[in-house]
Amino acid sequence: MMWSLSAYRSVFIAVGLIGVILCLVPAAVMLVPAPDAERFSELYILGPGHKAEDYPFNMSEGNNYSVILGVGNHMANSMYYGVYVKFRNSTESLANSTTSSSLPALYDYRVFLRDGQVWEGNLTFSFSNIVFNGNSSYVGGIRVNNVEFGLDKTATWDNESSGYYYQLFVELWEYDQTGNGLFYHGRFASLWLNMTSSA
Amino acid sequence: MRLRHLLRLCAKGSAWLLLSLIIVGLLSYGPVRVKIADGASASIGDAETAIRQAFNVTLGAERAGVNVTGLLSRLDEAGLDLSMAEAASNGGNASGAADLAGASKTLADGVATDALALKGSAASWFSSFSQAFEIGLVGAGLFVVVLLLMWRWFKRYYNPRLLGSRPGVAA
Repeated sequence: MMWSLSAYRSVFIAVGLIGVILCLVPAAVMLVPAPDAERFSELYILGPGHKAEDYPFNMSEGNNYSVILGVGNHMANSMYYGVYVKFRNSTESLANSTTSSSLPALYDYRVFLRDGQVWEGNLTFSFSNIVFNGNSSYVGGIRVNNVEFGLDKTATWDNESSGYYYQLFVELWEYDQTGNGLFYHGRFASLWLNMTSSA
Repeated sequence: MRLRHLLRLCAKGSAWLLLSLIIVGLLSYGPVRVKIADGASASIGDAETAIRQAFNVTLGAERAGVNVTGLLSRLDEAGLDLSMAEAASNGGNASGAADLAGASKTLADGVATDALALKGSAASWFSSFSQAFEIGLVGAGLFVVVLLLMWRWFKRYYNPRLLGSRPGVAA
């Protein structure tokens, strides 16, 4: 069976049109905006084995403890983050999803990430001048990444959880070009720590 | 009697001298310490500003299509120096803090300069688009010309075949 000439002409015209469209696709793609994916930043704490387990819990004077802090950027452009390390007893201010803790940062990390990039850093800490008196405990100092800070914190014995509880937490702050500064992003991660007289 | 009086005068004089020295020492030492602390916090403030500005320029370069991976890793170093400067300042090491903050500022200023240069040399979106469009047009034109030539050849090939396949009358 043989096609007519006009049928072949239609085939040639169709092939020509497809070819022209394919040649112009790269330029056309530049005119189409990229799909708006969900934008977010992540903050996490991992145990020393790089897993979400074996977090340090029972603290004693002079021992070194370490965890891994992580920040991930999924904001579709490069980001400048501030990671603030803070320490509190159970009665002091803790960050929430809208407000940062009013406590001063003991240590901070400044992290610059491309979209899709993840940063991880070690956080090592130890405590000094831990004193127990009756049903209360006192912590005089903390050493964060080899830098010594005075603490002067007390905690009373927690009957429910059987311990002297303090909290080490990190807040994620993001750089905002309009505000020309770092602003709290509503993300924080924390570790409960129990002060003991021995490990 | 006179000797005793002289000795008493000497003792009084020494006491006054000692007191004066202490006061002068306190007055001169106090402002020096304040000056060092102020110097460290001013350096830290300068470094923070330099980092912010460098990041703003880097973002601008990224939006212009520049690969900013290298610039960001240098900013990371500047940020680390600044964090260490703040820690040193909190620990009372004002001169160490000022040195680290100075190093951080130098790094950040370098990043800002390089980001600005890279942004200036990066092709704008319009020039990239027009380049892609021109290449596409030339490609499409060549494709159409080749297709027309093929069509002309095909028509020449097709007609004799059609004629050759014309049904004839058997003798």
